[in-house]
Amino acid sequence: MKLKSAECLEMDSRKVWKLLHRRRGVSVVVSNVILTGAVIAVSFAVLFWTQYRSSAYNEQYSEAMNADIARLKERLAFEYVFHHQSGNKLSVYLMNCGTINDTTVKTVYITTSTGEHVKVFSNITLMDFDGNEIADQDLDKGEEGYFVLSSPGLAPDTSYSVRVVTGRGSTFDHKFIA
Amino acid sequence: MKLITNSKGFSSVIGTTFMVLVMMFLGTSVFMWTLSQNTLYNEAVRTRNQEEADRVNEGVVALGGNYSVSGEDVTVLAVLKNAGSVTAQLINLWVLDTNKSRYANKPINLNMNPGDSELVTYTVFIPETGANHTFASWFVTARGNTVPLERELAEGVLVAQVAQGIGYLAMDFDKFKYYEYASDYGLKDFPAGSGGYSVPAAEQLAFGLRLTNYDPTGGKRSLTLNSHSLIWMYFPTIGKQVIWHIVNVDANGTVQPTYSAITLAYQETATVYFASRSDGSFGGTNDRVKPGSTGPAAINLLLLGTIGSDEYGQNIPFVSVYCS
Repeated sequence: MKLKSAECLEMDSRKVWKLLHRRRGVSVVVSNVILTGAVIAVSFAVLFWTQYRSSAYNEQYSEAMNADIARLKERLAFEYVFHHQSGNKLSVYLMNCGTINDTTVKTVYITTSTGEHVKVFSNITLMDFDGNEIADQDLDKGEEGYFVLSSPGLAPDTSYSVRVVTGRGSTFDHKFIA
Repeated sequence: MKLITNSKGFSSVIGTTFMVLVMMFLGTSVFMWTLSQNTLYNEAVRTRNQEEADRVNEGVVALGGNYSVSGEDVTVLAVLKNAGSVTAQLINLWVLDTNKSRYANKPINLNMNPGDSELVTYTVFIPETGANHTFASWFVTARGNTVPLERELAEGVLVAQVAQGIGYLAMDFDKFKYYEYASDYGLKDFPAGSGGYSVPAAEQLAFGLRLTNYDPTGGKRSLTLNSHSLIWMYFPTIGKQVIWHIVNVDANGTVQPTYSAITLAYQETATVYFASRSDGSFGGTNDRVKPGSTGPAAINLLLLGTIGSDEYGQNIPFVSVYCS
């Protein structure tokens, strides 16, 4: 084996020294790796963020759409509206003839034929036609029920309108003569 | 080669490509999802519109409404016809006693195909109701329509337009018949008789006609005919009159010797016979009557009696016969 001369060893150490101290090529590679990694990381972050935002949007849109569809399916029929003049009460008989269950009565408005509000009722107790309180306080498909409004303040032989607002926000109107 | 060897801007290309892919992916998925939601909504709208159309096309009518009261039970008689183009389900009957302002409802379950017609009777309990009270009623369908029951009185008004129902009693022109005698008291070909508009002048005859009590006042009163009721035949060309008094005829076609008052309940139809020359009795051969003349003759019904507690008198014209 031939041993390196002192001159050769000096040249080698000079090359190593050069490699360690000349950093031009190294910085380009490192910066490219860092930049690419950062871009990919940010891209994923944006992807997850947009997915999160879009799913939130989807959820809101879905809720709004389902609420609209549920409202569309709601329909209440007025079977009879009777004003008990002697007892100063108004009985409103309803039937859920829509295609959705759990229709609640939230608010009832009494208006005159010209649209002026006479009275608003918000605590409505639904009864079945046998006079018993409906347990779940809603009308399922095909279910009938009624509620009684006390002291509606109606003048006899006058035309009025009763507006029923459901829990889902649908409104149903019916004209009657007190 | 330059693009590959020169790495400047490589990260921008990756980032842009990535972003474009992300945007396309998200945009497409959100668009497709929104589209599906809109489809659901449109489907709900279409279903709702179909339901509304069905509801509008539901054409059930309730005719011939009649009420009878027994104690506090009100029986409603009606003819239901589905004149619409869709099947209908009737689920409830409401009855209102307008005199007492009391009401009741009766759950029913009647399905009717288009064109179906049903005679229905339902009884509801209304406290303190009465036979002389006025009622209103309506049916409710499963689609939420209400079908008001039209009173039979409305049809009576239509009958009156053809002069058949003027006054309290209506005469059925199709059932006007004459009878010859098979024996002293017995009517020939009873109860069919012969068509009444062409009668033999030389034969002793009896007449039969169908009357209906249509008390148009709404009081639903019974009508009783007394013995003075008769039909009289008038020959305008010769000025001659012939009369036949009211009689009772039994189920075998035998004319009864003594007349007992005939009562027609509200809306009851009965055949009433006229045969006797005498008021209140029939003595066989001596009381038989024949027209005795030939030619055209007018026949009038002269009816007397009571309706409810009131006196009643009515003259029904319009029948013509030819005696030959």
